[in-house]
Amino acid sequence: MSGLSVGMFLFLVSVGMSLIFGVTRIVNLAHGSFYMVGAYLMVTLVEVLPDRPWAFWLALVAAPLGVAVLGGAIEVGLLRLIYHRDPLMQLILTFGLILVISTLVLLVWGPDNKSVSRPDALAGSVLIFGQRFPSYYLLVLGLAPVVAVGLWLIFYRTRWGMLIRAATVDREMLGALGVNVAALYTQVFAFGSWLAGLGGALAAPTVAVALGMDGDVLTTAFVVVVIGGLGSFAGSFISALLVGLLQSFGILVFPAVSIVLLFAIMAVVLIVRPWGLLGRPEE
Amino acid sequence: MTASARALGLLAVVLALAPLALPPFFLQLLTEIAIVGLFATAFNLLMGFGGMVSFGHAAYFALGAYAAALLVKRAGVPMLLALPAAPLAAAAGALLFGFFIVRLTHTYFAMLSLAFAQIVFTVIFKWKSLTGGDDGLLDVWPPAMLKSPAAYYYFTLATVALSLFVLHSVSESPFGYALRSVRENPRRARFIGINVRRLQLLAFVISGAFSGLAGGLFAFYNGSVFPDFAYFTKSFEPLVVALLGGAQSFFGPLAGAFGFKILEWLVSRQWPVYWPLFLGTIVVLVIVALPQGFVGLAGGQGWRTRLIRKS
Amino acid sequence: MRARIRDAICGAGVMLVVTAAGGPVAAQTKAPIRIGEINSYSGLGTVYTFPYREGLLMAAKEINDAGGVLGRPIEFIFRDDKLKPDEAVKAARELVGQEKVDFLAGCISSGVGLAISAYAKEAKVLYIATHCQTSRLTWDDGHKYVAHTTNNVNQYVRALAKKAATMPYKKWAHISPDYEYGHNVWDEFSAYLKQLKPDVEVVQQNWPKLGETDHSSYVTALLQSGADAFLSSVWGAQEIAFVKQARPFGLFEKVHYFSASVGNPDELDPLGKEAPVGAITPGFAWYDDGMQKRHPKLAEWVKKYEARAKKEPTLGASWGYASAYIIAEAIKRAKSADTDKVITAFSEGFEMEFPWGKVIMRGCDQQAIPPQWIGVVRMNTKGKPVLADVEEVHGKDVIKSCDEVAKLRAAAAEKKK
Repeated sequence: MSGLSVGMFLFLVSVGMSLIFGVTRIVNLAHGSFYMVGAYLMVTLVEVLPDRPWAFWLALVAAPLGVAVLGGAIEVGLLRLIYHRDPLMQLILTFGLILVISTLVLLVWGPDNKSVSRPDALAGSVLIFGQRFPSYYLLVLGLAPVVAVGLWLIFYRTRWGMLIRAATVDREMLGALGVNVAALYTQVFAFGSWLAGLGGALAAPTVAVALGMDGDVLTTAFVVVVIGGLGSFAGSFISALLVGLLQSFGILVFPAVSIVLLFAIMAVVLIVRPWGLLGRPEE
Repeated sequence: MTASARALGLLAVVLALAPLALPPFFLQLLTEIAIVGLFATAFNLLMGFGGMVSFGHAAYFALGAYAAALLVKRAGVPMLLALPAAPLAAAAGALLFGFFIVRLTHTYFAMLSLAFAQIVFTVIFKWKSLTGGDDGLLDVWPPAMLKSPAAYYYFTLATVALSLFVLHSVSESPFGYALRSVRENPRRARFIGINVRRLQLLAFVISGAFSGLAGGLFAFYNGSVFPDFAYFTKSFEPLVVALLGGAQSFFGPLAGAFGFKILEWLVSRQWPVYWPLFLGTIVVLVIVALPQGFVGLAGGQGWRTRLIRKS
Repeated sequence: MRARIRDAICGAGVMLVVTAAGGPVAAQTKAPIRIGEINSYSGLGTVYTFPYREGLLMAAKEINDAGGVLGRPIEFIFRDDKLKPDEAVKAARELVGQEKVDFLAGCISSGVGLAISAYAKEAKVLYIATHCQTSRLTWDDGHKYVAHTTNNVNQYVRALAKKAATMPYKKWAHISPDYEYGHNVWDEFSAYLKQLKPDVEVVQQNWPKLGETDHSSYVTALLQSGADAFLSSVWGAQEIAFVKQARPFGLFEKVHYFSASVGNPDELDPLGKEAPVGAITPGFAWYDDGMQKRHPKLAEWVKKYEARAKKEPTLGASWGYASAYIIAEAIKRAKSADTDKVITAFSEGFEMEFPWGKVIMRGCDQQAIPPQWIGVVRMNTKGKPVLADVEEVHGKDVIKSCDEVAKLRAAAAEKKK
């Protein structure tokens, strides 16, 4: 049960990274930084909003939007300038962003650890099959499938989703057909950032909001995305569940090797199927 | 060519005379610059000449550093015999990992190299009885005759110069040109009879070996080795350094190492909090505005190679 | 919130000026005694090092305002170690070689402390370790060029184990991060507890990786372990995450929670109303009535610190403060800033009174022995978590003896061969 919720959570934080890669071919290393900013915004919003039950939910909606704006601005201001270059240059640029964002967070929010309290309704636990289970995780368990289904609906039932899918297959053709690819990229990047921010805002009540949370989540999200297949959102879903279960049970069964195991699996997947479990091979 | 040969000669004289004029700390800084320069040049053999960007070169740096340090600490081997083990161990690691890595291209190449490096890091971190775990291995000093800053400076300078000579010969050899052709167009290279994978693997092993040598030199310079050496942030060091200096030129990474280390020293001693911000901003600016690195800015043109292509 | 942002930026700005000026402005005209201070002044470690530095600079200012040491002002030259031992060694070299400092000080990460110590031994410079806590510094890997001015793991963990031994728990479990510090804490705790109470039994062990963010499977394991009590040595952000995740499972009601660090404000404050009430843990509870009664000067010190730092003090702040005074005292006793003479002063040992009690600098290992406080986490009337019912044990009553330290050093030397 807890493995499942960890997996669902991993899906939420990693699917944005996968989506961004699928469309723009950028491996966004700053994804963890966006996650961190989402969590810090959550802290600030909960602090400034009146102490009412709805404040938490309002913050949960608003914080990711702030991150989406940040992501969109970075795409327009920086990444757009270098799409014609080697994709690895974009990756290195996002590495630079990690350093910039982490320092800015330190300057704005200060060095102290912070946290957000769970809303009272979700602070306790419920009994499921005779086992205690934290109610807050139910929120994650519920929200992740909603996001997954929402993404599926967007991809397969809207024109925007169709364009996104088309962009993952052949961007140049899409541009030639008169679609504003640049705007599409910005929207996708902002959307992916929104997902990272949502992950951070959702995580804020269960972890410490602290410097360094960017790196913690980056490595795991990275492994999830690579195993599932860069750009494949169904792949991210399955791989997030796999990694979540592995993390929950692996540490109990073979604690000494569990971290090595994660990267070893990632290496094996890359060797056997570089495009991941459900990704598409590159031309 | 004669102009650059003269410049090189002048540089050699300046560097050789440096200990007469510079206080010990600056010799140590120069020693470190030479080591980082070697690491970045070895890395750039792959990136600049082979078009292969590794995100896991810290692994080979660390393998070299740990191989040398372990031989000295655990087997009592003298430093001068332990140091050659650094490139050998790193080359072995590069051969093993590279065999799989060179099968992939672009982003996937980078990802797999990163995955292997994280495995190396975790093993070093966890295998406490051998590697000392988190606390690393301390007291890995060179023998008495190399202990003074000037002596170790000369030793490093000679080793690095020799390595750069070898690397330069490699990059200007038929092998080096075959590597460039693979970078520009792997398919055409295959058509003219180049065994692309074997070529790339060889380049990977050479690059890994010299990264390992840099690691070994650093171990004795620093007097200690730590798991950090294999961490992924360390893998970005040669990358950033090469980009700063200019990945298109053989000597770019060396210039980058000089600029990077001096900047780091100046900025982070005064404004430690702002150093990551500063570095990150520079990385972003160089990528967006200075694709040729600072060497390119200084008007260095006519490099035979181009890394950044329109995709 | 706006004010908070401004404070943070101003704080950074002030720090910049202080560093640029090379420490507190010297009132005296005599050449200052220069101490190179290496610590983690960027990134993750700043939550601990910023208050620590406030304490250090506060003491330095007091010392200099009172005429300095041997008529000379003391001056700290700060360098960032980026939390990396190799960066720390580099900074040490620069400080010694270029800045010509008289002594080295600092460290927050144990790895950094041990690396600077190894360098100091090689370079024959006295290194005064301040904020890091590993016992290896002055024991297994101790030598005459290192002194340690603050608590080490052995003392506060033993104090905690001593408290644990008075309670009726027989079956124990633990959760510790899987690296040097985590193993160190658990080894010390379990060994001392067994020594005091031979019938205790370890029923289950958990070793999450350092920086693990999800602890639910460990929480489940602890719940099923059948233990009466457990020790946690996860710390900082990781412990906050652990507590938040364990709470809804009711872990703290079922198994009594002992923690090496949850009583510190960097963990208690963010936990807020989710703090683990009832947890037994060490901590610097300057606000506790009992503490203030035992140490009448404490309240005044706190006021002075708050006036300066605009923040409540932390254990780290007291360590910074004490470290500057201990260094100054050793120089005073040596009647010189000469390395060998100051080492002699340290090796002869001395005692100092601080607003929070007596700190013994023991000669045989040049290790500080401060008072230890163990309390219980409670909610105060304002709904803020605090450490209450604080009991004081002096470190001298629990710390390993000089003979034991000599044995440790001999064993370590044997191992090196």
